[in-house]
Formats: sequence, C-alpha cells, structure tokens
Amino acid sequence: MKILKMPKQNLDFFVSVLPAFGEVYAPVRRGKSYAFDRPSRWSDVVMNYPRTILPPKKLMLPPREPTFVFDPKGGYRDLLVEASKPMVMFGVHAYDIWGLNILDRVFVQGKYPDPYYIARRRATTIIGIDYDPDDKHFAASMNADFADTGFDLFLSDIGDEYLVLVGTSRGDDIVVMSGCLMEQPAEADFAEYKRRSGRRRAAYKTRVELGELPEILEMEYHSEVWEEMGAKCLSCGSCSAVCPTCYCFDVNDEVELGGRAGQRVRSWDSCLFKTHALVAGGENFRGESASRIKFRFYHKQRGFVAEYGRPSCVGCGRCTEICPAGISIVTVIEKIRGERHGNASSVTATA
Amino acid sequence: MSEPKKVLIIDDDPDFVSAIGMLFESAGYVVQSAASGREGLQLAKMTQPDLILLDVMMTERTEGFFVLQEMRRSPTLSRTPVIVISSIYTEEPVFRVSPEAGWLPANLFLAKPVDPARLLEEARRLTGQSETVGAQAGGRERL
Repeated sequence: MKILKMPKQNLDFFVSVLPAFGEVYAPVRRGKSYAFDRPSRWSDVVMNYPRTILPPKKLMLPPREPTFVFDPKGGYRDLLVEASKPMVMFGVHAYDIWGLNILDRVFVQGKYPDPYYIARRRATTIIGIDYDPDDKHFAASMNADFADTGFDLFLSDIGDEYLVLVGTSRGDDIVVMSGCLMEQPAEADFAEYKRRSGRRRAAYKTRVELGELPEILEMEYHSEVWEEMGAKCLSCGSCSAVCPTCYCFDVNDEVELGGRAGQRVRSWDSCLFKTHALVAGGENFRGESASRIKFRFYHKQRGFVAEYGRPSCVGCGRCTEICPAGISIVTVIEKIRGERHGNASSVTATA
Repeated sequence: MSEPKKVLIIDDDPDFVSAIGMLFESAGYVVQSAASGREGLQLAKMTQPDLILLDVMMTERTEGFFVLQEMRRSPTLSRTPVIVISSIYTEEPVFRVSPEAGWLPANLFLAKPVDPARLLEEARRLTGQSETVGAQAGGRERL
C-alpha cells in the first residue's frame, strides 16, 4: 500500500480537484448535526464531526429510488444509468466504510446481486478520515474502528499533516492528479501515526463484549428483556433508518391515473414497523413490538454472524443517539449478558 | 443588428471588475458583476448570461472552484461558457494541478494579469458576439 502525506493547509485545493472523479459529498453542518451533502464552499466541510445523521448508505441505497419507468409511448426504461453517475464521498469514518463493506456482502457478493447498488458502488470514490470517538461510539468493540479495505484513499491526522493511505488504483489516480499537494512521509510521521492511532483506540469510552454473544442470544431467546424493550420501543424505525447496515426495502409500482404509465420504486423499510411481517390474509408474524425489536437484535448480532462471519453492527452509535425511547444497543447487550440489571435505556458507558 | 451578449464578471477585486467591465462594454457587451461567488451564482441563475468570467480566490481561496461546480450542476447554467481568470498559480505556488489535466470544468483558464485582446477574442469565440456590434450596444448592470 502506497503511503503519502498531505499538509492540512492543502486540503481545500485537494477537495477542489476531486470533482474530476465525481460529484463530491462531504460532511457538512445540518442544524446541530452533520450530514453528507454537496458543499457549496470549502468552509462548509467539517473535518472533525462525530457522526452524520444518516450513513453513506443513503447515497448507495437511496431512501426512495425509482428503478424503472414505463409508459405506452416510451415503453420500458431502466434507470440503471442514473445510478451510475460518479460520486466522491469525502470524509467517511472507518465504521461507515465497514458499513459499506457489509452492504457489499449482501448486495454485491450475496445470492442476488443488486445492479443498482453495484452501479453506485462502482461509480463511487471513498475517501476516509479518522475521528476521535465520543461517548456513543463503540466501533472498537465491533472491530470497525479502522478500515483496511473499502476505501480509495484514507486520511489519518498526524498533526499539521494527514497521512494518506492509497487503497485502490482509483485512489492512485487521484494521487497522480493532485500529487503536487502531497509529500513523501518520514519515519517520524509513521511514529506519530502509531502514537495517535493507539491513543484513539484507547479513547473509546463505550465498550461492549461480543464474546459468545450469538450463543448467549440463543440462550436468552425467551428473556424478559425483550418484553421490557418492546414496552419502550415506539416502532418508529428511526434506528434502522440511521443504521449503516440495515438494508430492508419495499418495492411498489406507482401507476399514474389511467393505469398505463408509471414507475417501480423501492424505498427503505424497517423490521421495527408493525407492517413489516404482515402478509396477505392479515397474518402478522411479528405483530408484537417485543418480537420485532428482538428480531432486529438477533439479525444483527446472531444471524449475520452465522451467515457472514461478523455482526452487522459497526458501533457508530447512531441508533443510540436517535432513539426517542432512549434504547441503547450497548445496554441491551449488557442486560442480555447478565452484566446489567434495571433500566436498559440508560446510556451509561462501561469500561 | 443582433442582440448584445451578456457577460457576468464574478470577482471581488473592484479594480479588475471596473477595467474588464469597460473593456467588454466598449466591445458591445452588456456587463453585469458580482463581488462574491454566492452573489454571482444567484445573479447567473436569474439573468442567464452568455458568458461568465470567474475569479477563484475570493472570500475563500478556492471559492471559484466550488461556484463552478455548482454552475455545472445547475440545469440552466451547465452549458454556459465560463472563463476562469485567476492568479492562483502565482499566489499559491503549492497548487500546481494544471487546468490542462482536465479536472476544471471551465471552457478556459486564463492567468491574471490577463491579456485584454486575448480575453476579448476568446469571449467572442465562446459567445458568437461579432466584432461589428457597436460600443453603443454595451452597458452596465450591477448587482
């Protein structure tokens, strides 16, 4: 892997060149939070954000996506080409890169490859950046606090400069174009990188033990924790909307009046919605809130481990932050493990 | 006689705007100007100029690059000819990514100080404004 360094003062020039590789999305302020959006000037870009409201998933698997249109005159027109427009995602944290890598396992390497997702993923350049964890991040526990694949370039703060890891040939193309903004790193830069990465790893205040969790979940299938959580959960689906790896979607044909023209649209769904497991005839396989929240935990922490070898949670902390009922994934796991008693909605960190 | 073409100058240097504005007015263009990227973008969307002369280093040193991106995204400005006129390569020697490398979606890059004859020639080429349009046709509109 090629490693370079770039003075921080060159970053605005660097980002100015990126549109050559696609439309640039970067973390920008959105009220009191942050969102991946198109910056209208360099000062819009926030380099030290804790997390964005929605993960990069929103650009790879849009919340609402027309996949094809049909009408009597034009016939059928696939919108795949719309999904192939080049994009650059600048400033993506490691856990969100992991989120995309996990979605890849489902939509690229899975049994049913998704052409729309694949088109977007191939057309998208990912430029990662490191971050200082806050009290809601637990990515270190989920082995998602660093990324060794899934990015084209990765920037690591080493003081007045960023160490630039080149992950792909496309990343190398960016380096070739903007190479004058970068320099060769010295031994002291590597030492500083190691010092800071160790400090960041140690800075996680929230940790969760994953050892034997799939087995413990198996044992606790009938635990009263699920009833307790079900009583709190509002079934709003906010946790799945902000999750970097939740990928359930629904498909509808939207037909114009007259019934001859329309479009097929897929839109995000959530296993927390009461209608998620509702089938024809009115049967609902998960009609109770407790069964739905349990399903979500089992899919992420057990089912995904069995199928893909790791939990699909990346420890970004978004679901904890967004939940209007104050349900924290960390405290739920601790309760299931028998490490915590009492109110499971507390977000108190454990060492 | 054909309608005079509109040129929008987006530059925070009033002396440059004044000098280049007079040059274009004397060549028969209607000149508009804006002193920042944001104002320029707003004016361009409202008045749909035939040519935009865009500075880079304004409130921020890369402001013009971002403005240009937004113009290229705009359905009404995506095809409007843009000449980027900047001293960025002399004032910021660390920035050596040549506009020839194809990353800058402008029709042309000219370094400041700009040669007026060359600028007018390129403007005529990009707008189709004929040399015979009289100076009387030109004028000034300022945001």
